[in-house]
Amino acid sequence: MISLWLRRLSTDRIVRSHDQSAPLVVTGKRGNTEVLTAVDDAARQLGLSPGLALAQARAMHPGIDAVDENVEADTALLESIADWCLRYTPLVACDAPDGLLLDISGCAHLYGGEHELAADLAARLENAGFAYSFAIAGTIGAAWAAAHHGKPSSYACGEERALLAPLSLSALRLATATVAGLARVGLKCIGDIVDLPRAPLTARFGSEVLRQLDRALGYEHEPLNPRLPVAPYVAEQRFAEPIAREEDVLSITGRLARRLQFAMERRGDGARRIELTLFRTDGVVRRIAAGTSRPLRDPDEIRALFAERLTVLADTLDPGFGFDMARLSVIVTEPCPPQQIGISDGEDAAEFCRLVDRLSARLGARRVHRLAAQDSHIPELTEVVLPAQTINGDTGWDAFRRYRKEIELSPRPLRLLTRPEPIEAVAEVPDGPPLRFRWRRALHEVIAAEGPERIEGVWWSEHSGPARDYFRVEDKSGLRFWLFRAGLYRDIAQGAASPAWFLHGTFA
Amino acid sequence: MIEQLRQRLLTLQRMPRIEAGPTAFPLGIPVIDTVLGGGLLRGALHEIAASREAHLAAATGFALGLAALSAPSPRLFWIAEDMALAESGTLHGAGFDAFGLAPERLVTVSVAHRRDLLWAMEEALRCRAVDAVIGEMRIGRIDSVMVRRLSLAATENGTFALLLRAAPPSDASTAASRWIVSTAPSVLTHGPGAPRFAAQLIRNRRGPAGSWILEWSDSDERFILATHDQSVAAPAFDRPHRQVA
Repeated sequence: MISLWLRRLSTDRIVRSHDQSAPLVVTGKRGNTEVLTAVDDAARQLGLSPGLALAQARAMHPGIDAVDENVEADTALLESIADWCLRYTPLVACDAPDGLLLDISGCAHLYGGEHELAADLAARLENAGFAYSFAIAGTIGAAWAAAHHGKPSSYACGEERALLAPLSLSALRLATATVAGLARVGLKCIGDIVDLPRAPLTARFGSEVLRQLDRALGYEHEPLNPRLPVAPYVAEQRFAEPIAREEDVLSITGRLARRLQFAMERRGDGARRIELTLFRTDGVVRRIAAGTSRPLRDPDEIRALFAERLTVLADTLDPGFGFDMARLSVIVTEPCPPQQIGISDGEDAAEFCRLVDRLSARLGARRVHRLAAQDSHIPELTEVVLPAQTINGDTGWDAFRRYRKEIELSPRPLRLLTRPEPIEAVAEVPDGPPLRFRWRRALHEVIAAEGPERIEGVWWSEHSGPARDYFRVEDKSGLRFWLFRAGLYRDIAQGAASPAWFLHGTFA
Repeated sequence: MIEQLRQRLLTLQRMPRIEAGPTAFPLGIPVIDTVLGGGLLRGALHEIAASREAHLAAATGFALGLAALSAPSPRLFWIAEDMALAESGTLHGAGFDAFGLAPERLVTVSVAHRRDLLWAMEEALRCRAVDAVIGEMRIGRIDSVMVRRLSLAATENGTFALLLRAAPPSDASTAASRWIVSTAPSVLTHGPGAPRFAAQLIRNRRGPAGSWILEWSDSDERFILATHDQSVAAPAFDRPHRQVA
């Protein structure tokens, strides 16, 4: 476990974006006063520290440069560093506000060992201009304590006890009040409480103290909460020379997909969502995801999907000085039993899925839909458009056809407007069909009408509108429309708004 | 020997010829089928334009009717520009059903740009599992090279391709046929009757042009030639009221 502490995250962020010569402090409002929230090394040497009021700091050192804090930018920066750390391990957790936790179990050998991995991390952070301190230990608690309170770059696996003993109690991530309480009875460092009888300590200071101690010593498990879900299948490749061309990215995707294919075949899985992560040499991470409409293992098809995605991203991919690492991870899997390939319907279905995937990859999954019938009598709710990739199996149309036959539903328009458009209509009798109406500035004389078909709102919802009377009308030139009047004239007496006419759809 | 090689070369260079290659499906109306040379070509691009924007629903219905005839229970791709869907409304599954098509075999694609529309149409046409592709575009020009590409894609796979336009086009086209469709008054019973279309064939690669009034018969799931519900007056030859000096 590595705990990484970026102790000057806010000031480093500001220094990285523009040159700064004067001692820099970051300020924010706490209560009613403007206080320092972060200081850089120069300001720290002047004796300034977070928590000091800005007015006081200005009085001491008028030359300091004060910048307002920007919590969102800090969080975004921390998250981008977390993304970048994915190159070391898939298990990266943000330790807000300015730390990261990396679970490197089983990953260190890829760099030649834990020390080598840490050295690589340190060198890259140094180059990027971040002040850091980190520690490697067997538990999250011990690593955190050593990174924040111990010697920088300390390493202790198996010797957590010796590492923790000299550190102050605040290194256990306890509440300030608890630390102060322990200090009052003379317990200042972790070594002081390790061998104390447990019952009295718990009775006086609560269970938190010993739990944190147990976690740091590894007697109790502490779960890591990774920022991103860990993919069940991952393949990655590092490059000695950064790659930048689209064809290279694609060919490496194909190669990684081939490696994943073997792993997935062994377990009988197929990919439903795949993510390609590209690590740029300057630390920027690009994540490109592609979905599929059926479990997929074929490397060529995976490659073809990413070819579509890259075509869309062409300008925004921006390889900069090149990518030095690529990772292909399968995020969502689905069981995919091995199938015999033959000249059957299966071929056609596969071809169809391939087309849907290609269109979804290029245009976006939300632009390729299929219609699913819904159990509702409100016209605009009778069907819903769903991304074609997500639909498998029944879309409810059989049930709809049965229902329509049963109740002898009157004809429905061929095209439905996304929302009913208000029209000006004149009706002969209040509840009858309109004689003429004006829609989109054109006047239509009605020569035939069928209706009304009354469609009530839903009584269990407050937001459903008034009852609608639908009419199927034909105008002089033969255009056929589906109109409705919202509201009934007889309800006006009860204080309802006067009925309004709308056009909802057109018939062929 | 040389003759043999020539023959072989010819088969290798086989240009997709619209006249010879794909099969045609009949509309079931002898008059129209004769004009079309046996029926509408399946592996070809056809253009259907509404005579005015208001008649787009009729053009949609006509296009869907043709798609329904092109194959039994066809797998249909409907690709439309966002603007077209916002202006004229989306396809309604419950109404779409009436044209003998199954909503579960429909995939709709909405695209933001015309070049995406043409790209998506071409992709869909090249897929073996798709029987018919309908692309809907708003008013405007379309690159004739792209139309040619679509025609070729349709010919190669034998997929039925339709381009639905909101207004009669002014540009030249390489489509196999071009129709202008407007709605025609239906036979009124208690209300509006079965949908009627005034279909005008203005360009036909395999025969003359023509103009008919068609009705979609819901029970037979095909077009029938509309008959006049009222007797049509015979053309007047003598005009007794006009006294010729």
